[in-house]
Amino acid sequence: MADTSRVTLPAPAPMVSQVTMLRVAIILTVLAVWEFLSRSGWLYRDVVPSLLAIGRALIDLLTHGDYYFNLAVTAGEVGAALAIGGSLGLIVGIALGANRFLSKAFESYLYYLGPTPKIIFFPIMIMWFGVGPGSKIALGTLSCFFPVALSAAAGMRQIDKTLIKVGRSFRATTMQMVFKIYLPAMRHPIINGVRLGLGVALIGTLLAETKLSNKGIGFLIIQAYSIFDMPRMYAMLIILFILSIGANSLVGHFGGLDNIKRS
Amino acid sequence: MNAPLQNPSDILVVDDVVVRFDTPEGAVTAVDHVSFGVRQGEFLSVIGPSGCGKSTLFNVIGGLLGHTSGTANVAGETINGPHPSIGMVFQEESTFPWRNVTDNVAFPLELIGMPKAQRIERARHFISLVGLDGFENRYPNELSGGMRQRVSLARTLASEPKILLMDEPFAALDEQTRLLLGDKVLQIQQQLKQTTLLITHNITEAVQMSDRILVMTYRPGKVKRIVDIDLPRPRTSDIVGSEAFGRYVAQIWADLREEASRGMRDEEKTMMGAKS
Amino acid sequence: MSMAATRPARRFTLNRALPALTGLGTVVVFFLLMELAIRTNLLSQFIVPPPSEIIASFPRVIVEEHVLNRFMLTLGECLAAGVMLTVVGVSLGVLMQRFKLLQQACETWVAALASAPVVLCYPLFLVIFGRNAWTIIMMGFVAGLPPVILKTLEGITGVRRVLVNVGRSFKLTESQQFWKILFPAALPNIFVGIRLGLIFALINVVGVEFLINFGGLGQLINELAERYDLAGTYAAICFVVLVSVLFFMAVEKAERWLTRAE
Repeated sequence: MADTSRVTLPAPAPMVSQVTMLRVAIILTVLAVWEFLSRSGWLYRDVVPSLLAIGRALIDLLTHGDYYFNLAVTAGEVGAALAIGGSLGLIVGIALGANRFLSKAFESYLYYLGPTPKIIFFPIMIMWFGVGPGSKIALGTLSCFFPVALSAAAGMRQIDKTLIKVGRSFRATTMQMVFKIYLPAMRHPIINGVRLGLGVALIGTLLAETKLSNKGIGFLIIQAYSIFDMPRMYAMLIILFILSIGANSLVGHFGGLDNIKRS
Repeated sequence: MNAPLQNPSDILVVDDVVVRFDTPEGAVTAVDHVSFGVRQGEFLSVIGPSGCGKSTLFNVIGGLLGHTSGTANVAGETINGPHPSIGMVFQEESTFPWRNVTDNVAFPLELIGMPKAQRIERARHFISLVGLDGFENRYPNELSGGMRQRVSLARTLASEPKILLMDEPFAALDEQTRLLLGDKVLQIQQQLKQTTLLITHNITEAVQMSDRILVMTYRPGKVKRIVDIDLPRPRTSDIVGSEAFGRYVAQIWADLREEASRGMRDEEKTMMGAKS
Repeated sequence: MSMAATRPARRFTLNRALPALTGLGTVVVFFLLMELAIRTNLLSQFIVPPPSEIIASFPRVIVEEHVLNRFMLTLGECLAAGVMLTVVGVSLGVLMQRFKLLQQACETWVAALASAPVVLCYPLFLVIFGRNAWTIIMMGFVAGLPPVILKTLEGITGVRRVLVNVGRSFKLTESQQFWKILFPAALPNIFVGIRLGLIFALINVVGVEFLINFGGLGQLINELAERYDLAGTYAAICFVVLVSVLFFMAVEKAERWLTRAE
């Protein structure tokens, strides 16, 4: 009946915990099966390249400056998208959260438009902002605007009314109310919104790059596909996943730290 | 009922205040022609059954709520918005979870632009006054409910208000904590000679701490009586056992009972109405 | 029916409708202003066609581009992905919950996968499955899988202790305990997971259709854009947005209906 109890914390570990052992075992099994498949020749050649080939591709990728240039291009585009879309989202979200009328009038539009596929707007973005980084930034901006706006609006509404009263009773100015009460009180929903926004901005930018571009990580991936260099593609996907998961948990870390220490 | 209620020397004067709300069921009078004064340095409690408009009164005096007619003056100035002479302590949890104890207490000082070193020193003083030495760098979620309420109290005291205005500050706490915290408030009030206005529904609490108690009627909230509490000071919770204390409690309960049962009947009626 | 009959009819008041009307009015005014700006050459009509032209091209796009067929194809792909991610996701969630160690080892991996740009694997899927509907379905499936697993796990592990104890007091067997207590109690959470999974599936299905120029509604946009059919492209985008919004509403309704007992 042990399995019916709540499992939230990992069991207190000795030297090497069972969990770590299981993790290592799973990873080793997957790698072994992979290598076996690649050597067996049962599957179409190159779909499952040998681990050695992927490793070589990884090293090759990481030792060439070319990759870092493209990484910087994509990172710049995502950063710009997050900055523009995030601040627009924050402003709109705060306005919606502060005003019941605005919220009733417009929020359901945002709520339902939020999860629509954004990449289909890419043809329009090309017409407006050209084939260069502009259209990628625009698509990333469009993607991350919605989660940030919706989180900020919800966060604004769930601010404890008593804290607002405290600020008023000490006669805080509007600026002081915003910076010392509203924004800190909304920090968790905002960080969460930025986290979601970062994820979709990254996807929007990268997909746009795979569709039409001549630089950036998305371009490198589709280039590897077109010359059928599978080890290189796997290598790039691996690095991309590590980077994006890392960036995501980095953003969450600020919120997460708060969670533990400051409720 | 009008002559002895106020005095020209009173620091807070509430004169003929009426508060009416528009609700879907029509206008409701929450506070009905209430007049009283608070003397410099005294501890006055406002007591009444729930629904007597005492929290409305709290918000009006605190300047968070407008009133329909009448005037409220503090230190000779009309209250039309939060006044610097009045410091409020709220019933609900009101510490900022993202600030540690020191930064919570220093909040009002930060708002008026006091330099950092100075405001931290001031904050430390008030933290020690409420007995939270050693907890300066803790965050509210690391403290108990009683400790958090003491942080709120220290924060309000740090703004050095002429009048400390408290709305059932112990309502959310358990009985033991409430008694001990009551002692703390009494001790601080006597030490600072802090003029205090306490809103409560707890008779023992009111008698234990007050110089005078204002009893309010159930809806619409009017002043029913003002009782002078002639118990020796300094007081602690030990006084609760004395005979004089019991007499005061009985006297106020006699007043309140009528109002409370009127309130209960009224509530039952609304519940029946909602059901049918 | 009886519920509706006993309730008094909701009065239509201007107060209640005003926000909704304002929202709608803003949208209408926005399009009117666009129209005006384009007609007065403030905005180039080679970048944005006038809204009236977009609306006028709706029937043309719908008839000439076989929108109904495309819609059915996209919907079919989504449902195929939806069935797969329900079966696989819920099973994996249950499996992980039954074997505590497995959950401890893998839950963070699944959560990490949920935050990774999985859809970037579409060129890989193209190689593996070829340029056909399977690539699209598998992409939708993989993208929608993490929320189903995580919500299933959350649902079962979060079942209130007292319900579990009720089951034990009746001396239920392990499998009775699961099917009669844990699973039903976790269902609302599982439905949330499936709803999220379906939404992700739709987003990725349409996106990949557009990107690889194969299949239903996503391809329609790509084709019209490549033909420089400006009004048609805008109309198709509007149409896809509309379809997705209706899809979300339908999935939400379905979830609410399924969990109405809660």
